[in-house]
Amino acid sequence: MNKTTEIEFSQLMNQHKGIIYKVVNSYCQHHNDRQDLAQEILTALWLSIDKYDSEYKFSTWMYRIALNIAISYYRKDSKRQDRPSINDEQLINIVDITTEEDRSEDIKQLYRFIGQLDKLNKAIMILYLESESYESIANSLGLSKTNVATRIGRIKVTLANQFQD
Amino acid sequence: MNLDNLKNTWDKQDEASNASIEINQPLLFSIGVNQQMEKLRNMKIARIAESVFFFIIIVSLWQYIVSDFTFSAPTISAIILNIFAIIGFAGNIGQLVLMSELDFSAPVKDLQRNMYSVFSHKLQVTRLVLLSVPLYMAYTFLGFDVLFSVDLYQYLSEQMVIFYAISTAILFVIAAWVLSQITYKNITTPWVKKVIGYIVGEQLIDMAEFLNNAETA
Repeated sequence: MNKTTEIEFSQLMNQHKGIIYKVVNSYCQHHNDRQDLAQEILTALWLSIDKYDSEYKFSTWMYRIALNIAISYYRKDSKRQDRPSINDEQLINIVDITTEEDRSEDIKQLYRFIGQLDKLNKAIMILYLESESYESIANSLGLSKTNVATRIGRIKVTLANQFQD
Repeated sequence: MNLDNLKNTWDKQDEASNASIEINQPLLFSIGVNQQMEKLRNMKIARIAESVFFFIIIVSLWQYIVSDFTFSAPTISAIILNIFAIIGFAGNIGQLVLMSELDFSAPVKDLQRNMYSVFSHKLQVTRLVLLSVPLYMAYTFLGFDVLFSVDLYQYLSEQMVIFYAISTAILFVIAAWVLSQITYKNITTPWVKKVIGYIVGEQLIDMAEFLNNAETA
């Protein structure tokens, strides 16, 4: 890939890299898994950048790739434990949310709540929190609008029950 | 707390989220492949090797069929087994096409369904083998002719032929039922989950559960 693509990609990443942070914190419990997943997402974005159609919102395209990678990757997550990283040079470095003192307790609580949902509902929840319309969520996930609405309704009930207790 | 509260909380973190990530861009730009893509590349190589194997079987069986074409039991057996080999070969080609078309920016359910098809290859091969079980006599007839130049069918009594015909019919019904059950739609059925886990592994169970969940409103 040429220098112009590299510069454009860098600019886009500087604007949207927070998406990676949100997805990995929603899908992984352990910090090293978050690092690994972030690396997978970032490399997938870089290796697919040629296929990006600029007619569409970059953040939507980025979310689709990030969620697809996270859903595929997460399979290994439940059996993993935090272990020291063996890479000398990290491709991506994410601050561990559990040690971030300036990160509000509300945010940590929010990620804990998302972490309890199943993989599909996690994706729905993230896109909903990004203020995507039901139609847009349905398009990104390949579901029907009714299915999305039903699931969001159920998440609301779960949330209400959880914070009532 | 409700979803609107959560939305406000979520919106507030944007700047902090960007600041919590550092990317080593020179290293990124030197990367040509990631784990997921490497895994798919290895699978492509395996599928090509299998395609060559099936192709050799198809050519060998055709050579056997045309070398002495008669409507004998070994020839018909070779035709039947050739059909299975062609299905296997076509399946492999289909897998290669599917792998080359995988698009990670596709809607999540579509990509996950394609990934399931790619990762369930071992399951598909097992299904093919299972489907050929009712026709087990085809292997026997062909084997006897190739190894001993004997047409076993001519030595079978009428009762034996009837026995094999009935056993084939029964096995066919059983195989058809089992095959119809082993899909991701039945992943909540304990024995289906066990079979998929035993043949392919936990990863496919996980994919099946995701797809099954996505298709259930």
